[in-house]
Amino acid sequence: MHAGLLAQYVVIALAVLLSVVVVARKQFPEGVRRLRIACAVPLVREGRPSWLRGIGRWLAPIPRSQGSDGCGGCNGCDDKQ
Amino acid sequence: MSAEATTLRVALVGNPNCGKTALFNLLTGSRQKVANYAGVTVERKEGRFQGASGRSYALLDLPGAYSLHAASLDEAITRDLCRGFLPGEPVPDVLVCVVDATNLRLHLRFVLELRELGRPMIVAVNMADAARRRGIGIDLAALEHSLGVPVVETVAVRRDGARALIASLDALAHAPRAPTAHLADASEAAMHSETRRLLAAAVTMPRRTAEIDDTLDRWLLHPVIGLVALAAVMFLMFQAVFSWATPLQDGVAAGIAWLGQQAAALLPQGPLHSLVVDGVFAGVGTVVEFLPQILILFLFILALEESGYLPRAAFLLDRVMFKAGLSGRSFIPLLSSFACAVPGIMATRSIQDPRDRLATILVAPLMTCSARLPVYTLLIGAFIPRHQVAGVFNLQGLVLFALYLAGIVSALAVAWVMKRWRRDRSEHALLLELPSYRMPHPRDLAIGLWERARIFLRRVGGIILALTVLLWFLASFPAPPADATLPAIDYSLAGRIGHAMQHVFAPVGFNWQICVALVPGMAAREVAVSSLATVYALAAGTNDTAAAAQLSPILHAQWSLATALSLLVWYIYAPQCLSTLAIIRRETHSWKQVGIATGYLFALAYGASLVTYQIAVALGAG
Repeated sequence: MHAGLLAQYVVIALAVLLSVVVVARKQFPEGVRRLRIACAVPLVREGRPSWLRGIGRWLAPIPRSQGSDGCGGCNGCDDKQ
Repeated sequence: MSAEATTLRVALVGNPNCGKTALFNLLTGSRQKVANYAGVTVERKEGRFQGASGRSYALLDLPGAYSLHAASLDEAITRDLCRGFLPGEPVPDVLVCVVDATNLRLHLRFVLELRELGRPMIVAVNMADAARRRGIGIDLAALEHSLGVPVVETVAVRRDGARALIASLDALAHAPRAPTAHLADASEAAMHSETRRLLAAAVTMPRRTAEIDDTLDRWLLHPVIGLVALAAVMFLMFQAVFSWATPLQDGVAAGIAWLGQQAAALLPQGPLHSLVVDGVFAGVGTVVEFLPQILILFLFILALEESGYLPRAAFLLDRVMFKAGLSGRSFIPLLSSFACAVPGIMATRSIQDPRDRLATILVAPLMTCSARLPVYTLLIGAFIPRHQVAGVFNLQGLVLFALYLAGIVSALAVAWVMKRWRRDRSEHALLLELPSYRMPHPRDLAIGLWERARIFLRRVGGIILALTVLLWFLASFPAPPADATLPAIDYSLAGRIGHAMQHVFAPVGFNWQICVALVPGMAAREVAVSSLATVYALAAGTNDTAAAAQLSPILHAQWSLATALSLLVWYIYAPQCLSTLAIIRRETHSWKQVGIATGYLFALAYGASLVTYQIAVALGAG
């Protein structure tokens, strides 16, 4: 395959991947949150190397503030909390 | 740790529509929604600010409440937080009780109730400028002496309007003190009597209500003239959406087309060229063109919100809404749903009766949200001629008005059926506070419009762009077989899904391209427009950037009028919005209600589109 064409497919693959992430985060925030927790928990266990634990911490979602009640992610209103 | 280092938790409490959120915005630099009617804030919001002393404060903006004896869900949040009963929420260190200086007769009663909690407290007499204009005199020192808590004046709409409050907070933080006065008898009668005593001691009022309010209300609350005025306002709004927006829309479209051409010239032919031209510019660009219409619609909504007219409209429509099984209290949530059903459904927390609340939640998706406006304006622009009716009215504006009206009438009809279903014969009297009329401030309107534009563009650059990219991908891959006879898109994944769905939607006149557009439209309704633009641009071939930018003429050439009308009717009911369904689940805690909402909306959409299409075909529009 021509290098230029290959580069185009790489850019498209990245754009599609990013789009999947955006749609998942916007439309299924709770599912994405659970998925991130499920992925992060095994990585941050005792005995894991520090770099793996770092990745786990990066993957883990930010703890939800008490009492805050985010709206479903439609962006139809300003969702600043 | 020094005293300055500890963050003090301050809660803004008060009756609805006294300016708590405006004060919150002023102190924290936030831009939470404010409007001139009760019930805008239905959940607690938190922000931070620093006092003049350098101390930092965590500020909580709470829903308005008339009493700590909560009558609705939003009032219960305020009650529980003030009393320290809200799980995970420590009791606030200081209560700032905000009162409307023009309506102290009502607001001081709640001050007395809060004072009985015994927490450190400051009374902020807000809208002091409006009170002065009406000749209301308030002796702050006398009020402070009688109440036994610090009393300060605030003007939340002025940049330095909270200076006294910040100074008072700093002083209280330095030397916290509980209220020094208490009621010997905390009964309702004693509180009213104490309120009257406070008013006599500290307030001089030439009139109980403003003269201009009384004059306007005589006309605008008249059972006949008031309704005519309301209809005229709504009518003007939809006429303006088409008449005023056209030159702006043409300008935006030309700009996007030019940008698309520049991008197309820069990129070599290939899949990336197709993604940028057919996906991003044809798809997303088509949605951006509708920004002027959305802003004009919101200009009217913001002006009406600021003016104080909306609660009057709720009062006027209470009789009609009651007959349909709703109450005037449902008006504000339903009106909020014109922007988006999500805040509209959340606003139902201010409805006290649970059955009225559920009915309002279930019919809120029938209000035409702003995300449907691009679909409506695209189809109206393509199929309805730009004629004048009776020399005054714009036919396109009339059709748009009819579509919005159809949504409202359908909501009332559904609520009526629900009332009959549950055999509800109870009456709930409407108790609604009518705020003073206020001239909308151009700066506030400009900020409101800027916020709406930002929200829309952020949505375009986020979920709409992402879905368009995904749709382009599904409509471009896999590549057609070597012996393909049909256009390449027919062999793509999206093409196959569209053709499969067409078996279900053929009776309502939808072609496979519309079927494809319905799927991503579940995440954001505007994506139906960008999806149609992308699908038709891909079908037309990747070289024609000018054609790709002009979706309207393509639809006019390829669709029948019956199909267009059927799709317009489909979007009146538009059952497919995942965010709305998610918020219904959250607010009702019931999957059953989500199922009912999805089922009835889909049945209505399909049934109404079927009838519309078949009648239109029978009349020769097919």
